Amino acid sequence: MEFKDYYKILGVETDADIKAIKTAYRKLARKYHPDVSTENDAEAKFKEVSEAYEVLKDTEKRAEFDEIRQYGAHGQRFQPPPGWQSAHQGSEQFEGDFSDFFSSIFGGGGGRGAGPGADSGFAFNQKGQDIETELPIFLEDTLSAGSQTISYTLPRRGDDGRVTEVKKTLNVKIPAGVSDGERIRLKGQGAQGMGSGANGDLYLRIRLVPHPLFDVEAHNLIITVPLAPWEAALGTKVEVPTLDGKINLSIPGNSQTGQRMRVKGKGLARKDGFGDLYAVLKIVMPAKTTEDAKKLWQQLATTATFDPRAEWSNS
Amino acid sequence: MMASLETHYFSFEELCDVTELSSHIIIEVVEHGIVEPEGNDPETWSFDMQMVTVTKKACRLHNDLGIDWSGIALAISLLDEVEQLRSENEKLANRLKRFVPE
Repeated sequence: MEFKDYYKILGVETDADIKAIKTAYRKLARKYHPDVSTENDAEAKFKEVSEAYEVLKDTEKRAEFDEIRQYGAHGQRFQPPPGWQSAHQGSEQFEGDFSDFFSSIFGGGGGRGAGPGADSGFAFNQKGQDIETELPIFLEDTLSAGSQTISYTLPRRGDDGRVTEVKKTLNVKIPAGVSDGERIRLKGQGAQGMGSGANGDLYLRIRLVPHPLFDVEAHNLIITVPLAPWEAALGTKVEVPTLDGKINLSIPGNSQTGQRMRVKGKGLARKDGFGDLYAVLKIVMPAKTTEDAKKLWQQLATTATFDPRAEWSNS
Repeated sequence: MMASLETHYFSFEELCDVTELSSHIIIEVVEHGIVEPEGNDPETWSFDMQMVTVTKKACRLHNDLGIDWSGIALAISLLDEVEQLRSENEKLANRLKRFVPE
């Protein structure tokens, strides 16, 4: 297993006093706390930092670690010294989810509550861990209730106390009208309980997958409708896609970029009915201009009295 | 197998059960306005799914970072705001891209 240098993890000197260790720990704990941090490996980092603090804040454990540290050559695979026996071994049950390295020095099954003292099976009962996982859903699939197959990993404790990860697949019925960030609880689908403890729960956090055409604003959808300048000037009929089929939209003459038109009931499902679809107009120029078109533009340029920069002339 | 959904509301007792927290911790969380259940007293309190998540988060922050409850109330409302601003920012950036090609 890998040698863990707890001093390095907390970023303190080997002769740091308890105050410096505490400060370093607090700073890193705030930085990597999974509820606060946006870093990808925040949870692993937080665990590592907590483990380092668990050892270094305790004079006895720290002394033992210092001894191991002298012995354990850096960069090599670590094995505890032959006949190593911690003062803590068998005497203590550690809260928290510590590494194999920690367990090899201080004992403990390396996992929550599975103390080495539990030699006659599980000595206590505990509810299984709750699991939270993200469930990506396409906008189209939120319109009506439907089932989704989800896969997630669960920690499972073997008879030897070791924790392995097992994959689980589940078919879940998702109600219509779920929204981004909403959580759905599946009772008893989390990690297995210990002893007669109940299973943990599974929390699904709904994430609406970004759509290539539609943007989401609460329960309303927004679609950008590109128009040629003459379509905006003269008005036109445009076939506009919605989440379920197409509709015909009449664009009035003299339309502007950014103008919104509401199509009732073509948004996302709500608990009561549907939101609306907003068509936002966007006037686009053709990439190339033909000679004929250029002549027509020139004709327009000489006859039109429009000043697009009228606002500038007053300042 | 088809799993059953739990989208109902939770009573005070059920919240203690589902979060595995003691009643006095949940009372702290409510008294600091970290979650605001329907109902005026613990017997009639009713918590929704979101409040379950927030209560658990509040308790993790309290235990892991040693923040007191009024600090948690502030941290949670700021974290909420950050999350909201991030998602709003992302949405606006996406919409802007539809008008201004990169």
